[in-house]
Amino acid sequence: MESIIGSHRERNTLYCTRPGAFVGGSLQVGKVLIGAFFCALSTAVSCVGEDGEEPVSWPDVAVDPTPVVLKRLTKAQYSNSILDLVGEDIAVPISLEPDAAVDGFLVVGGSKSSISALGVERYETAAHDIAEQAMSSSSIREALVPCVPAGDSDASCSEAFVQSFGRRAFRRPLTDEETTRYVGVAVEAANKLGDFHQGLAFAMAGLLQSPHFLFRIELGESADGRLAYTDYEMATRLSYFLWNTTPDDELLDAAEAGSLADEAGLAKQVDRMLASPKAREGLRNFFYERFALHELDDLVKDGDIFTSMSAELGPAAREETLSAVEDLVFDRDADYRTIFTSRKTFVDRRLASLYDVPAPDLEQFAATMLPADGPRAGLLGHASVLALHAHSTSTSATLRGKFIRVVLLCMVIPPPPADVDTSLPEANETFPTLRDRIAQHNNDPACASCHSVLDPIGLGLEQFDGIGQFRLDENDATIDPSGDLDGVTFAGAVQLGEAIAQHDEVGRCLTRHLYRYAIGTTETKAEAALLDQLGEQFEHDGHRIKALMRRIALSDGFRFAQEAP
Amino acid sequence: MKRRWLKRRTLLRGLLGGTSVAVALPLLETMLSTNGDALAGGGGLPTRFGWWFFGNGVHADKWVPDGQGPSWELSPEMAALASVKDEVTVVSGLKVYLPNTVPHGSGPAGILTGGPLGVVGDSFGNSSLGGKTLDQIVADEIGNDTRFKSIEVAVERSDSSLSYAASGQTNPPEYSPAALFERVFGGSFVEPGDEPIIDPKLSLRRSVLDAVSDDALSLTKRLGAADKLRMEQHFDNIRTLEKQLAKLEEDPPSLAACSKPQQPLDDYPDQNGEPQMSAISRAMSDLIAMILACDQTRVFSVQFSRPVSNVLYPGVSAGHHQLTHDELGEQPQVQQIIGQTMEELAYFLNALRSVDEGVDTLLGNTAVLCFSDCSFGKSHAIDNYPLLVAGGGGGTLNKGIHYKSPAAENASKLGFSLLRAMGIATTEFGSDEGYVTEGIADIES
Repeated sequence: MESIIGSHRERNTLYCTRPGAFVGGSLQVGKVLIGAFFCALSTAVSCVGEDGEEPVSWPDVAVDPTPVVLKRLTKAQYSNSILDLVGEDIAVPISLEPDAAVDGFLVVGGSKSSISALGVERYETAAHDIAEQAMSSSSIREALVPCVPAGDSDASCSEAFVQSFGRRAFRRPLTDEETTRYVGVAVEAANKLGDFHQGLAFAMAGLLQSPHFLFRIELGESADGRLAYTDYEMATRLSYFLWNTTPDDELLDAAEAGSLADEAGLAKQVDRMLASPKAREGLRNFFYERFALHELDDLVKDGDIFTSMSAELGPAAREETLSAVEDLVFDRDADYRTIFTSRKTFVDRRLASLYDVPAPDLEQFAATMLPADGPRAGLLGHASVLALHAHSTSTSATLRGKFIRVVLLCMVIPPPPADVDTSLPEANETFPTLRDRIAQHNNDPACASCHSVLDPIGLGLEQFDGIGQFRLDENDATIDPSGDLDGVTFAGAVQLGEAIAQHDEVGRCLTRHLYRYAIGTTETKAEAALLDQLGEQFEHDGHRIKALMRRIALSDGFRFAQEAP
Repeated sequence: MKRRWLKRRTLLRGLLGGTSVAVALPLLETMLSTNGDALAGGGGLPTRFGWWFFGNGVHADKWVPDGQGPSWELSPEMAALASVKDEVTVVSGLKVYLPNTVPHGSGPAGILTGGPLGVVGDSFGNSSLGGKTLDQIVADEIGNDTRFKSIEVAVERSDSSLSYAASGQTNPPEYSPAALFERVFGGSFVEPGDEPIIDPKLSLRRSVLDAVSDDALSLTKRLGAADKLRMEQHFDNIRTLEKQLAKLEEDPPSLAACSKPQQPLDDYPDQNGEPQMSAISRAMSDLIAMILACDQTRVFSVQFSRPVSNVLYPGVSAGHHQLTHDELGEQPQVQQIIGQTMEELAYFLNALRSVDEGVDTLLGNTAVLCFSDCSFGKSHAIDNYPLLVAGGGGGTLNKGIHYKSPAAENASKLGFSLLRAMGIATTEFGSDEGYVTEGIADIES
C-alpha cells in the first residue's frame, strides 16, 4: 500500500505540484518552469503592437502540419449540411451516429473513429427519409432537379441530377465512375417503381450515405515535400471550420476556379465567410463543443434541493452562453478575455428568475446587464458552467476547478490515483461548508497534489449552488469564496473571473483550442512554434477571436498536411 | 434466391378472424426435433452470449458470498438474485493485473479486452478501450448468421458503451426501448410462419448499399494505414447492413417461442431528476429476451449504468458515484443501490428463463457475464473483482456455484473460459499483464 501511494505521489509530482508544468497540453514538462519567464518577455514584445498596427512582419515559422486524416461529420455538421444541400424545410432525423469528444472536441472525435454498425443503419434510414421528403416536395424537386424528365427512366436527366447534387454533397465534382454508379441506381429504381423522381430519391439516398459525404476526405496533393490541400478540400475545410456546414456554391465555384490555393484568393473567401451570418453559427459551435454544452440536455439535478430546476433550464443556460459569445465576437468584436468579466448577458424569463434580474417581456432571450456591484459576472456566472460542473445534489469545487484549469487554461490533469480513500467528511457543525470538508480531505498528499490546484479556485464559485443560484450560506455557515489563482488573490467569483482574464495562459489556450477545432484533429508537437506565433498574434490583435479565425484559416497549418503514417 | 415460406399464420388469420395470437405456437413446436433440443432442420438451438454491466463496483465484504462450490449463500448485496440463484455462478477473488491507470476505465478494459486501455486519458481526461471486446470477439464467431451481428443496449442514457468493435471504436447503445423495438420489430419484421414481405424497395436499398460500398472500397486504396482500417470497418458495416436487409426477404428463423413483443412506451421521462432505471431496464429486458428468442441476434450487451455513473436513484441523498466516494461507514445508500441493481439483473435473467427452448430455457442456452468497473468504488480497486456468470451457455458452463479463486488469479481467465464456452477454440486471451493461456476449469462444464 505504501509503495502504491508513493508511486502515485511521484506521478502527481510530475504533473501537479508545479502548476506551470502542465500548462499547454503537449508542451514538454521540463521547459515550462521557465515558461513564465518567457511569457513576460513575449508580452513585452507584443505590447509594441497593441495599438493594432501590424509589426513589420511576423517571421515565418516552421510547421510540420498534422498528417491527413478522415473526419466524420458531427451530428451538427450532418444536420446543417442536409439543410443547406436539400432545403431548410427538411426535417433532419436526429438518430445518427453519436458524437464523442476527444481532446475536448466532437470534431476531433470524428477524426478518431469509424462509423459503427448501428451508425450505418441510422445513416441509411436517415438518407432514405431525407430523399423521400425531398422528392415528394415539388418546390425542393424543382430546386434540385435541373431538367424535365422525358419519361420514367430518363438517364440523361438522372445524370444531370446526380452530377449537380453529387457535386454539392461530395463537395467536389463526381468522377465518371461515381456518376455512372449513382445514375445506375436512379435508373434501376425508376424502372422498378415506375417513377422518375422516386428513382432520383434512391440515388440521392446513396449519395447521402457515401463515405464521400459522411466523411471529409481531405488527402492533399504533393507540394514541395509536403501535402497541400486541394482547392476543393480547402473549400470543405474552410466551410466546416468557419460555418460548421457544407460549402456554398460560391465557395465551390472559387475552388473550381482554382482560387483557394493562393493566399489572396483564400483571404477573399475567408473575409466573405466571416462576414456571413453563417459564421455566427460556426463560432457558436466552437464554444458549444469547447464547453461541452451538449451535456446540458442531460442535466441530472435533484428537484427537491434545487427547486428552480426544470428540464428547460439546461437548454436555456446553453442559449445564454452561446448568445454571449456571439455578441462578444460578432456584435462587438470585443476582447475574448472580457467574457470572464462582462456584466452583459442574455436571459429568458427562467434565467432572469434564477439570477434575480428583471425578466424580459416575452418568452425569448434578451440582453440584460447584471448589477455592476453584484456577485455574478462573466462566464463563470453562467448557469451553464455552474450546473454542468457540479453534482446532482451539491456543488463541486473539484469539477469547477477542473473546468477552469483544463478547458480555460489548457492544463492537463491526470486521473485521480487508485487505491486511496476519496471520501469527504459529512456536513455537520464542525464542517458546515464545502471548504471545511475539503480541508479535511486534502490531508492526503497523494490527493492534495492535484486537488490543491483544482479545489481552491473551484471554491471561488461556492456562492453559486449546483444549478447556479446565488447563496451566502451553506448549512447556516457563511461561505468564504476567496482564494488565489496562481498567485493572484481573489475575494470571490467576480475577482476570480478577473484573475482568469489576466492569466498568462488564457489567450494561448483559446488559440490552441480554436486551432485544434479548425484542423479537426489533435495538433502535434511540431505545430508548437505556429501555435506560439498565433498566440502572440491573438494578443497583438487585442484578443479578437474573429481575427484569430482569419489568421488560422490562412496559416500553413490549415493549408498544408503531411502523409498519414 | 430461394423463396420458400409458410402460409400458416395467414391461413390461421383467415380462420380465426384475425386473432392469430398464440395459435401458431403449437404448430411451430412441430418444427423442433422430437427430443426438443434441436431444430427439425438439423441445426441445434443457438447459443447466445452477452454481458450485463453496472457502474461503481461493490463492497467486497457485502458482496462475496459465504461458502464455495455448490454450497454457498447469497451475500447481502446479491440477495435480490434469490429467484435465479441456481442459474448464477459467482466468481470471486480474481484480479485485473493491468496497471490501474484510469479509475473506472482500467477495470472494464481488463475484463472485456484482457488488455490495457487504448487511450489513457486525452488532454481532457477521456479514455477509451484498446481493442475488440469479448462480445465482439464472440460475435465474429457466432453472430454472422443472424439479422443483427450484435445488439447493444443501455438503460442509463449514454452515447457510448463498453462494447468496442476495435480500438477507440465504441458501439453506441440503444437507450430508448421504443427505438430498439422499432429497429428490430418495426417495419419489415416477420414472425415465424409468416410470409416475408417482398417489398421492391428492400432490394433497391440493397442496390444503393452496393453503390455506397463500392465508394468505400475504392476509397480504401487511397488511404494511410489508420484511415484504411477505419474505412474497412465502415465497408464491413455497410455489407453487414446489406445482409441484414436480405434477411428480411428470407423465411424468418423458426423458433417456437418467438412472437412480436408488446410495444414499449415511447418515452420514459426523468422524474424529479431521477431516470426511470427500473422501468426502462425491464422494458429492455423483455425486448432482449424476445430478440434472442426470435434469433434476431445471438450477441448482446446491456449497460445498466455507465462507468462512473452518477444516476440519482429514488430514496438516496446523492448521485451514485458521488455516494461511493462521500458516503461514510458501510455506505448503506450505496448498498441499497447495488441491491436495486441486482433486482434488475434478476428481472433480466428471469425474462430469459421464462422463454422455453426445447428441454431448456433461453437462459440455459445463453451465457451472461455480469461485472462492474471496479471492485470497490470508493478506492477504485481492481482486485477481488465482482464477477457473475449466469445461464448455462448451452450446456458449456457450470451453473449455481461459487468459484472462489485460491490465489488472486488473473481476471482474464474468465474471458478465456467464456470464449471457450462459446465454442471458440482459442489458446490465449488478453495482452500485457492481462495475457492468459488458460481459463477456470471449475466453471466450465
